[in-house]
Amino acid sequence: MNWLDWISAFVNDPAHRSGPDSIVHRVGEHLAFTGEALLWASLLAIPAGLLIGYTGRGAFAVTALAGTARALPTLGLVTLAVLLAKISDLTVLIPLVALAAPSLLVAAAEGVRGTDPQVRDAALGTGLTHRQVLFRVCLPAALPTLLAGLRTATVQVIATATVAAYVGLGGLGRYVIDGLATKNYPTTVGGALLVVLLAVGAQLLFAPLIRYSLPPGARAQRRSLTPKESL
Amino acid sequence: MIRFEGAAKRHPDGTVAVEGLDLEVPAGRTTVLVGPSGCGKTTILRMVNRMVTPTAGRVLLDGADVAGLDAAKLRRGIGYVIQQAGLFPQRRVLDNIATVPYLLGWDRKRARARAAEMLELVGLPPETGRRYPFQLSGGQQQRVGVARALAADPPVLLMDEPFSAVDPVVRAGLQEELLRLQAELHKTVLFVTHDIDEAVRLGDQVVVLRDHGHIAQRADPHTLLTSPADQDVTAFLGPGRGLRGLGLVPATGVELDGLGRADGWELALDAEGRPTGWTGPDGQLQGPAPVFVPARDSLHAALDAAVLSPSGLAVAVDAETGRAVGTVSRAGILGALAAGAAAAGTSTGTSAGTAKVPGGRQP
Repeated sequence: MNWLDWISAFVNDPAHRSGPDSIVHRVGEHLAFTGEALLWASLLAIPAGLLIGYTGRGAFAVTALAGTARALPTLGLVTLAVLLAKISDLTVLIPLVALAAPSLLVAAAEGVRGTDPQVRDAALGTGLTHRQVLFRVCLPAALPTLLAGLRTATVQVIATATVAAYVGLGGLGRYVIDGLATKNYPTTVGGALLVVLLAVGAQLLFAPLIRYSLPPGARAQRRSLTPKESL
Repeated sequence: MIRFEGAAKRHPDGTVAVEGLDLEVPAGRTTVLVGPSGCGKTTILRMVNRMVTPTAGRVLLDGADVAGLDAAKLRRGIGYVIQQAGLFPQRRVLDNIATVPYLLGWDRKRARARAAEMLELVGLPPETGRRYPFQLSGGQQQRVGVARALAADPPVLLMDEPFSAVDPVVRAGLQEELLRLQAELHKTVLFVTHDIDEAVRLGDQVVVLRDHGHIAQRADPHTLLTSPADQDVTAFLGPGRGLRGLGLVPATGVELDGLGRADGWELALDAEGRPTGWTGPDGQLQGPAPVFVPARDSLHAALDAAVLSPSGLAVAVDAETGRAVGTVSRAGILGALAAGAAAAGTSTGTSAGTAKVPGGRQP
């Protein structure tokens, strides 16, 4: 089969075995972009989302902001970032954070808002402070939703981090763009395939995390589902 | 003691939940707020632990305005039980019960030991402590809710329709449990319900509310049932007030006759002296004989036994041995009611709810 040959050509290329263009190095770069973007997005969006979900204030702003941010063209943002910040890691980070933050913001807000109102009422009435209610009652209740949001954001960022190559930075996008530029299709296909593998791998990694974040009752019910359904 | 002084709650949109309430909730007794939905009873209850802030007037707890106290600290000193229990789903039962002790900074061991004590107090087996709330029935969850409220031994207990989400049989059991606990603990209980029978059964003082938290009548259950303040209260009490009132009068005052015969019926006893049935004029044994325990049951239970008895006589038995100690006719039971009513009429104090019968059955 043609594409199997391409993959073997991609993997067996000596340049992809070691050095700056090696698969290990490119995957590392890709994951570094992804991790850094998710970290900044989490730091910005999750506290804001928790607060909005708890107070119920600014819920309208969340919807509007999330919708707008999702409509932002990533490539446009990258170009804008290049013009503003020259070429640096920041050039890629800004659009990736803008991509990940809305999912996290909405997930955090919705998760907290979905806490059983009776449980919240009992917690407050029993003498927990607002901070304690948020962190000990609402956050555990929001965790499954929050992790699902993080999973969505992670997959999106892994897929989109290929834009780093567009402005001359590393990551798996290098293979795709360089392969296209030199009509070296095995490289393009190999790069694309690696991105897909990373995204699917991230999905699978989140499945058990989400399951164990569920409250004990829901967890027991979920255990009977097949792994495919729990995705 | 809790005192409401002109306490009012007006929502920002202009609707009035409570127009201005003056009420005293005596210490160590159970006060029940009862009324149709939307009468403001839950709002009134929530003013006490500052879950609702009055827009006018004030609420005093042992003389101190609650508005001047730190909300979280205030609430840790007040037990709070709500309709669906509101247990924390990710925590085990024992840790749920230990919530307030943990908040008060007790060490883990002491808090858990206390929680285990509470579990026993509300009648749950020790192994329940390791379960998660979702593994319990509604009635069990409600018991855990009560245990959580009592864990730090607060003098005041607020209960917001705590038993209305469980079935009637479980509810009756929980009510009995509360009466037993209250006889032991003497908390200042403020209890909200829309069920007048529950109010009459549990309250030392019953406050019937109409719209906007206006008090229609405040009385002990017996007075409430026998002399409602007006047509509205009478309608709210519903039919059968007189018979239901029998459930409030203990059967201790009943004068017992001997174990003889009546109209050809003769009481049959076993070797231990326990009644087995009534032997009719035709020589046929009809059993078992309906019985009541004078020291425990209400006049309602006694009358019920007399109505069910083929001879027309209720058999009084000793609670422990089950031996027959005497019989009483329907007329004899109603005679005791007249005497009891006269006694209740003479005690005109604010807390005349002395006729609490834990085992008393009511319709």
